[in-house]
Amino acid sequence: MSGFRELWRILRRNPSAMLGFGIIVFYLLMASIGPLFVHVSNIENPLAAYEPASWAHLLGTDYAGRDTLAEIVDGSTPVLIVAVIASTFSVVIGVIIGLVAGFLGGVGDNILMRIADIFLTIPSLPLVIVIVTFIQSSSPFVLAAVIAVTGWAGLSRSVRAQALSLAKRDFVEAAQVQGLSLYNILIRQLLPNIGSYVAMNFLLGISGAIYAEVGLFLLGIAPFTASNWGVMLNFAINQAGSIYTSQSMLYLFSPMVAIVLLQVGFVLFTRALDQLFNPRLRTQ
Amino acid sequence: MAYIARRFGVSLFIIYVVITISFFLIRLMPGNAVDFLYFQLLASHTVSPQQALQQVQSLYGVNMKEPLLLQYVQYIWNMIHGSLGNSILYPGTSVLHILMNALPWTILIVSTSLIISFFIGISIGTLIAYFRKSKFAVLVSTIMTVLSAIPNYIVAIILLYLLADIHHIFPTGGAYSPEVAPGWNIPFLFSVARHAALPVIVFIITQVGGWSLGMKSSVVSALGEEYITSAHSHGIGSRRIIQSYVGRNAILPLVTSLGLSIGFMVGGSVFIETLFNYPGIGFFLITAVNGRDYPLMMGAFIIVTSAVVLANFLTDLINQRLDPRTMQK
Repeated sequence: MSGFRELWRILRRNPSAMLGFGIIVFYLLMASIGPLFVHVSNIENPLAAYEPASWAHLLGTDYAGRDTLAEIVDGSTPVLIVAVIASTFSVVIGVIIGLVAGFLGGVGDNILMRIADIFLTIPSLPLVIVIVTFIQSSSPFVLAAVIAVTGWAGLSRSVRAQALSLAKRDFVEAAQVQGLSLYNILIRQLLPNIGSYVAMNFLLGISGAIYAEVGLFLLGIAPFTASNWGVMLNFAINQAGSIYTSQSMLYLFSPMVAIVLLQVGFVLFTRALDQLFNPRLRTQ
Repeated sequence: MAYIARRFGVSLFIIYVVITISFFLIRLMPGNAVDFLYFQLLASHTVSPQQALQQVQSLYGVNMKEPLLLQYVQYIWNMIHGSLGNSILYPGTSVLHILMNALPWTILIVSTSLIISFFIGISIGTLIAYFRKSKFAVLVSTIMTVLSAIPNYIVAIILLYLLADIHHIFPTGGAYSPEVAPGWNIPFLFSVARHAALPVIVFIITQVGGWSLGMKSSVVSALGEEYITSAHSHGIGSRRIIQSYVGRNAILPLVTSLGLSIGFMVGGSVFIETLFNYPGIGFFLITAVNGRDYPLMMGAFIIVTSAVVLANFLTDLINQRLDPRTMQK
């Protein structure tokens, strides 16, 4: 529980971190219980297309007369699910590879870090696009795994560096002298020390995955079963031609505002955490 | 020299890995593109199996009936020699021809916006680091934080909507107007600039936040160093301290991240070129994906990745020039 108390202490002092945290919590609530309260109708009624904002439709209606707000709420779930899974994948792989490389040393370390270098250099988006095109799966797990394919490399380098410097510290040596197993040392001694690092990377990973994922849907590359923000943008730009009429501003801008607000939340929160974990960044 | 040679070797190795990944994707995955095309041709009953094999070979450059290892060697041989196969969407055109016409446009918009946003970013970053206590600097910092959070395709859509579609200020589609004759003449260069303006503006808006915040924290930590205090106590003017003492040291970590940034921007150019119909590599990558033109798609992937790998190599060289410490490694 001390972690939560610590978090609260940071948030109380830093208003922008509080704002970022609030935004993220709001989106998590929207994605988890929001869809219970809204209903996206399947009936297409072009006569009610692009209605302006009203009490019945707070964000107006889309090209088929459906409520835009309901679509935004309903579309948040798939976006966040894929992003959280993708970031979990890359964090888990990054931590494992980083720890193994750091403790193995020698040739194994060298090979793992060369592989990480390759994945750091290859631009991730073209690789993700090409793989998604060949796999053509609408499963959120598959999409998340593809997005995570390059995401682990940066983290594995930093975890390795941390592991290398930690391995020389007294408390790890003390644990080894006491005859604790390697597993025990890794889990009980080292993980808490790199925890803050991993938490930051997890949040940044979610933010990056949302960027990649929405972009894939926006370009119409990833197959989809249910609507989400990227699909909404894709329809607005390509299919429904909303971009050519000024009446459709509300429908076009709603998903964009939803994405930007969430990304701003992530940036505000992670920057505050960064300042906390790297005291050098604190304004002197 | 040894360092440069070693880095170059690593770059070539990464390109080799990329080619291997593409071979794996088009040849070894279940339901892969080569098998698919072959069986599609057979099922159409318009060609003999022999002709189908030939057609597959002309598109992908591999002979399906040979052992896989041989096909792999042949594929790498072809890629090294620039024979990336033929396009399906643009019949009769080689993939290399299409992509070599597209590559300069991607390099143009990415390098222009990288240079502009880098210099705007380090200027803003130095200023807000120096005046970090003032309200104005806090406001600028906040704006930069928000800008760094906005995905580039969203800025692109907003600009497309406001400046191209509604107000018709900037043209979209193509890299220059069909009326002008390509060459070193004023109308052509003006037309190129007008067509590149929107993609470049998008990149600048979305990149400048990251650079200025990075520069800010770099300058703030450089200001705390003892050699700065020492320089002040020697009575060196603050303008000179900012430029030669703080600036030079604070820029180094940012130069290191230029390489990563190039990769990210080239990735983003896929969205931006597609949204603006700008005929760079990213545009052809997406056109190929949507048209299931696998030879063109893999060619675009290999060319774009190799370009990023080589750009990384170049930034390594620059970095090494600026920071002699990296030479020792």
